[in-house]
Amino acid sequence: MHALTLPETGHFDEMLLPSGGIRPHYRAFAHWLQAQSPSVLAQKREQANQLFHRVGITFALYGDDAGAERLIPFDTIPRVIPAAEWAKLEAGLAQRVRALNAFLEDIYHEHRIVKAGVVPGEQVFANAQYQPLMQGVNLPGAVWAQVTGVDLIRHADGGYYVLEDNLRVPSGVSYMLENRKMMMRLFPELFARHAIAPVDHYPTLLLSTLRRASARENPTVVVLTPGHHNSAYFEHAFLAQQMGVELVEGRDLFVRDDHVYMRTTAGHKQIDVIYRRIDDTFLDPLAFRPDSMLGVPGLMQAYRKGNVVLANAIGTGVADDKSIYPYVPEMIRYYLGETPILDNVETFQCRHPAELDHVLANLERLVVKEVHGAGGYGMLVGPAASRAELEDFRARLIAQPENYIAQPTLCLSSCPTFVEAGIAPRHIDLRPFVLTDGRETSMVAGGLTRVALRAGSLVVNSSQGGGTKDTWVLEE
Amino acid sequence: MLSRTADHLFWMARQMERAENLARLLDVSLAVSLLPASRGGADVSAPLVLTGTLDAYLARHGEPDASRVLAFMSFDAGNPSSILSCIRHARDNAHAVRGKITAEMWMSINATWLEAREFAQGGAGDQAFFDWVKERSHLFRGATHGTCQRTDAFSFIRLGTFIERADNTARLLEVKRHLLDDADAADYYAWSALLRAVGAFEAYHALYRDAPSGRRVAELLLLRPDMPRSLRACFDEIYKWLARLEGDNGRAAKRLAAELRAAQAYTSVDEVFDAGLHDYLTRMLGDITRLGALVHEAYLEAA
Amino acid sequence: MRLSIRHETCYRYDGAPARSTQLLRLTPADSAAQRVLAWRLVLPGPASETVDGFGNRTHLVTLEGPHHEIRLLAEGEVETRVAGPDPALGPLDVRVYLRPSALTAASAAIAELAAGSARSVAGCADLAARVLEAMPYRPGVTSAGTTAAAALALGAGVCQDHTQVFVAACRTLALPARYVSGYLLNEDETHAASHAWAEVWLDHAWHGFDVSNARAPDEHHLRLAVGLDYLDACPVRGVRQGGGAETHRAHADVRATDE
Repeated sequence: MHALTLPETGHFDEMLLPSGGIRPHYRAFAHWLQAQSPSVLAQKREQANQLFHRVGITFALYGDDAGAERLIPFDTIPRVIPAAEWAKLEAGLAQRVRALNAFLEDIYHEHRIVKAGVVPGEQVFANAQYQPLMQGVNLPGAVWAQVTGVDLIRHADGGYYVLEDNLRVPSGVSYMLENRKMMMRLFPELFARHAIAPVDHYPTLLLSTLRRASARENPTVVVLTPGHHNSAYFEHAFLAQQMGVELVEGRDLFVRDDHVYMRTTAGHKQIDVIYRRIDDTFLDPLAFRPDSMLGVPGLMQAYRKGNVVLANAIGTGVADDKSIYPYVPEMIRYYLGETPILDNVETFQCRHPAELDHVLANLERLVVKEVHGAGGYGMLVGPAASRAELEDFRARLIAQPENYIAQPTLCLSSCPTFVEAGIAPRHIDLRPFVLTDGRETSMVAGGLTRVALRAGSLVVNSSQGGGTKDTWVLEE
Repeated sequence: MLSRTADHLFWMARQMERAENLARLLDVSLAVSLLPASRGGADVSAPLVLTGTLDAYLARHGEPDASRVLAFMSFDAGNPSSILSCIRHARDNAHAVRGKITAEMWMSINATWLEAREFAQGGAGDQAFFDWVKERSHLFRGATHGTCQRTDAFSFIRLGTFIERADNTARLLEVKRHLLDDADAADYYAWSALLRAVGAFEAYHALYRDAPSGRRVAELLLLRPDMPRSLRACFDEIYKWLARLEGDNGRAAKRLAAELRAAQAYTSVDEVFDAGLHDYLTRMLGDITRLGALVHEAYLEAA
Repeated sequence: MRLSIRHETCYRYDGAPARSTQLLRLTPADSAAQRVLAWRLVLPGPASETVDGFGNRTHLVTLEGPHHEIRLLAEGEVETRVAGPDPALGPLDVRVYLRPSALTAASAAIAELAAGSARSVAGCADLAARVLEAMPYRPGVTSAGTTAAAALALGAGVCQDHTQVFVAACRTLALPARYVSGYLLNEDETHAASHAWAEVWLDHAWHGFDVSNARAPDEHHLRLAVGLDYLDACPVRGVRQGGGAETHRAHADVRATDE
């Protein structure tokens, strides 16, 4: 018998009802789980470790000169999403990605949303992520983000909320695919008992999205990587291999007559679509950082002339900036004339006096973030802060309210997870990947579920001890 | 294939082959250094001359000393021509094209690097280490042969191997030229050491059933098509793998490879000695370097 | 005033780069203050032309195969006049010019220099004077890669540094400010004819500030390009593959021609 426990009150558990009973969509799994002996499951976990280790020898030790490897821990209890929930998520994600693309097209062309007073111009144009060089660039199909990763959490009320949009170079999809492969290998019987939506066609979907991004017939697609010292190189190599396209570095490419070519042993070959996994500022040393060794001189010119497609486009970062995030629901209304299907986490913009008053009155219950800050710098976690820290932030907020936003402390849902002492609830989030060619959006049913392995922790990042789970979307 | 990928594959194979050849040479040097000078021994600087690192060695260590030369050429990470450095370069090249080689090739070459580092902690290069290097090279070659798809990738790997080997065999003969040129000085131990270095000791005796002579050793290592480390065999292979590559951009390289192969096939050992062994080897070394440059230009850095 | 320009740039390499690419912003555009009568570029290879996001006309020149030098020549005639503040918005929203760049990130010293300045033409002119006072014109102290913060700390610089410190300071006052590169007709020969100055968005128009010369740009100024900083607007940016050490020589000759 495996003991399943509820998380601390105030958190939603994916498998357990507050009464301790099993949620309907987890019943078959829980039934199966209780029939497994702990020692067999421990063996399976060990086997998973070894298999990932082997894949790790195949892939994950890129970037580590010593030849050692760092594995992201994998938990064998899946995160299960019922069909109806996914249907709503899918519609909400597609809607969001459509609005974000419309926003990007607008702010690099006519600036309608700013002129209409829906989004303040300072937040857009004075933003370091806004790329002036993209002003007026016409992209095929007006697609700016072919690939979007949206971070979702499930709140105490059981609803999903968007925490963050990732429109630059969202990563993690290779773990989604590897996790599923692993589960099918370890527990094939589970896949016979459940109708689980497949995810393994993601590379095919990605390739067809990329190919449709070009107006050329039978376009040549490549994956552009910073190189094998990059921590995500595994994923770059994996996706290139799965799509059957070349994995190139900047030095493999050159620009001639405003077209991009790659150097091959059979001469040079024109490139039509670059799935780039390099940040904007490294793409072309003549247009951005002059010290970039990773880019291709002249790429910006070829791009501006429409002779090559970059996925994602340059300058998409402005749409996933913390200062723009609060406006996404407004964008959906403005561009699509629709009601947002997915909610944002409630966000207070301190530059509005009424919202600032609310934040100041509830400081010890809120998380305060710097608008342009990244990586947890300049952040106040109210419930964990000392008196002095609270007073310090109060002063900063009053002095420069426009630099801050505040959100309620998040209640990530939990999912039963194997820990040293058996099974315990651990907090999780979800990153589905949305593809679009401008006409339609497509996604595989699922995503990457990240899990905070330390008890009580809400930090799911792999760099801080986070692990991953397979994500099952049940079919009706 | 991407030129950069071909370049990494080519140099992965070259560096691994170089490590093996160096181990062979050092093994012989170790054996010969135990002989008295009068019998061809004490030639401890040969590996330094062969790899062009004599000056670097002298600057750092002064007068060549057998055990110091062995350590310098085996494990010195600061010496780009040491066995350890060659293995590291081979592994780094493999690393950069990890997705283009098989898991078994990668595991073999990565393990070789990790173990070589452990060997290097242990101190001096000795026979056990050289045997190990040869074994690891055999293993990697075996993994390549047994698992690598016969695409252009394989051709570039083989090209790297044989261009390096041709260069090494020619260099080795050039360094030991005095043994071949001067029949009177021929010494059984020195000869056998040389033959063992290229793994031809048994073949020699099976073919000639005789104490080694300069001409015969030269014939064996320059002109015999059935000796896997002879120049002739290397040129046959280079020609074969180059011919398999598609496209027009390698025409100059292919032409030179065909010329070298034909010349080597229709040359007799007497002609070599009549023209002078030194001149002959000098010309060969130049041609091999030129061939490497042409391959580079045509395939590995194509603009 | 009619200006005649001859601007020659030459890069020489110790080795021979296998490939080099230059991005040129060497073509002036018509505006209220200038009308291009004739203009041509003499370049060592085929060039592709476009207009960038800032509205600058650019040429990309690529040289393939080993070469030891690159020569670029821009020459022509332009009619200039004193036009006053320019209300033309350009393709970008002016608030783009509120944004710092790597070269124009404001240090505490820059913010301090700007603090208290009036957000007006007079206030900016005063600020420009203080910038020049804090870092008098002195060539050879800074280089093309010197940031505004570093140049101010060095206490000296050339027009590029003056302009970058000034635009960084204006942005701390929430004033959109941009970097302008171009040519200046000089009476004396101490300053280079290649020049840089700044523009600040005040009262719905761009006001020019030639910080190095403590005056407003007039018919002696001919503009080539604008941007957030030097890198966005400079006349030539290049990269190359190999080639060893480089010597760079640029000479701009600007004359007033009689009608």
